[in-house]
Amino acid sequence: MLAIKGMMAQRGHGDHAHRIRLPELSLAPGQCLAITGPSGCGKSTLLETVGLLLAPSELECFMLGKPQKDVATLWRTREQGELAKLRARDLGFVLQSGGLLPFLSVADNIALPRRIQSLPIKSDRITQAVDRLGLIPLMEKRPAMLSIGERQRVAFVRALAHEPQLLLADEPTAALDPHSAHGLFALFMEVVKELQIAALVVSHDWALVETFGVPRFDAVTVKGETVFEPRP
Amino acid sequence: MNLALKRLRLLALLALQDIWHDRKVSMCIAAALVAVIAPLLLLFGLKYGVVSQLQSELLDDPRNLEIGMVSSGRYDAAWLDSLRSRPDVGFAIGMTRSLNTQADLVADPQHFLDNAEIIPTAEGDPLLSSLTLSEPLQGPEVVLSESAARRLNVDVNDPLSLFVSRRLDGRAERGRQFIVVAGILPPDVFPRPAAFVPLPLLIALEEFRDGYHIDALGVGTGEPRGERETQFSRARMYAADIDQVAELEQWLNAQHIDTVSRLAEIENVRAISHVLGLVFGVIAITALVGCLASMLGAFLANIDRKRKDLAVLRLLGFDRPAIAGYIVLQAGTLTLAAYAVGLVLYGLGSQVFNQALATSSTTGSVVCRITFMHGVIALLLALLVALMVAVIGVLRAFSIEPAESLREL
Repeated sequence: MLAIKGMMAQRGHGDHAHRIRLPELSLAPGQCLAITGPSGCGKSTLLETVGLLLAPSELECFMLGKPQKDVATLWRTREQGELAKLRARDLGFVLQSGGLLPFLSVADNIALPRRIQSLPIKSDRITQAVDRLGLIPLMEKRPAMLSIGERQRVAFVRALAHEPQLLLADEPTAALDPHSAHGLFALFMEVVKELQIAALVVSHDWALVETFGVPRFDAVTVKGETVFEPRP
Repeated sequence: MNLALKRLRLLALLALQDIWHDRKVSMCIAAALVAVIAPLLLLFGLKYGVVSQLQSELLDDPRNLEIGMVSSGRYDAAWLDSLRSRPDVGFAIGMTRSLNTQADLVADPQHFLDNAEIIPTAEGDPLLSSLTLSEPLQGPEVVLSESAARRLNVDVNDPLSLFVSRRLDGRAERGRQFIVVAGILPPDVFPRPAAFVPLPLLIALEEFRDGYHIDALGVGTGEPRGERETQFSRARMYAADIDQVAELEQWLNAQHIDTVSRLAEIENVRAISHVLGLVFGVIAITALVGCLASMLGAFLANIDRKRKDLAVLRLLGFDRPAIAGYIVLQAGTLTLAAYAVGLVLYGLGSQVFNQALATSSTTGSVVCRITFMHGVIALLLALLVALMVAVIGVLRAFSIEPAESLREL
């Protein structure tokens, strides 16, 4: 589903440059991987690069989805439009504070990615996820009327709405109390397994990741360079 | 194609929902525009009302177009033709010596008018333009001024007699011409008792007085007329329009012909119109610049505030042109709403103005009004302001990257 080899991204220039390296990563459908590390180590930069938002400065191989699409070649030939299309269609983002549009109801927020991709609004998958996450009573509400936990659940469903192949989550539980965080993470894992999509979750909550036995990549920082490697 | 249209509709829907959700801020942005549109429309309406009233007073009165010749001279038909062929001349007709532009009109023994003015006329005479004569005056047909008709107690189609006297070889003679009233001129066009007659009749009266034999006047004596050329002593002329009075007058003065006209009044109106136009222009530009600045500030602050939402829209698959369209659409919608409100406020304000103006007789004929075209121009100007604001907003929004949605600010 996702296979990356020899990826390097850079933040800043010259002496202040910070390099982020990902030697190898591969994810199968239904598989979830956590990326952990201290704040400021470059987790978000890594997520942006995997999320096709930031151009990598080195990239050996990047295959995404089924059928496989060669992202590395697209970057090399600078096909920004194609990359943006790929990002919108095959990737789903769960943003830190939800990233819901305040002027749309929960139902409209969830339906938006499907509308943008011109998919039929009705989807069993969405109905199921909405039911599973207990969002039915919230559907007509605006994001401002929801608690942070509710917002994160809505954001999660919205990220799934257009049936992406890869889910990218940026600290989805950061703003939640431990109990809610545990609940949301459990749902997250379940849905990913059920829908057979690959998921990459950035988190600094090691304990939570450990509880669910999620394989994880950890950041090792040496002199302006962070390498993300599997942790046994 | 259909897909693009669908996306456009979705984008428009989102843009409008955003405006509506944020209606308090939207109202503030629109209010900046309303606060300029409504007063400017009112001011312009008033200026236009005053100027067009002054101008219509000028235009409605043909006397403002008239250029009078102060002294008599000798002008032949060729000179009159050259006068008439000038593009700045609207109407010109030869006049006889002033002593001969009088005659007696008699309806019956009780109703007569001694020494009525006899004025030559022809097709295109601006004085007679208020009458709708079915055809130009011919033969014995005349038009009477209202005061003449009143004193003669006659109406349209009534017959009259015109008498002209002369002394020939020591004998008093009186020529008579039967005439018919073809029309009556309202008193505000010509207040004095007068009869407007075809030019040949006036020439006949002069020649009769000069001692020639004129058959039509029913007097057998006098010298035979023969082949003599008519000489006119002056001309009654009107400029083609208000703006050409000065030019025509200059041409006449260059030929050493002294003239009188209402050029001073015309210049007055023009000066008032110019000053009012300048005043309005300066106020309008000041107000528009202020409006542009205030709208720009509010709009840019709004885009900064919504930066994250716009980044999310980018992340979900809207490209830069789509975001630009989103912003232009919002600016356009707010402008249209502001324009509509401004127009309503103008309507209310102009009602108040017009009621106040109508209470006084000196201002009674002035109304605050704008034409449809003025409304369209105001709308285009407002949209231009919106477009400028939107373009600067789009430049700002172009720097918004989808990745920003991931970063916590």
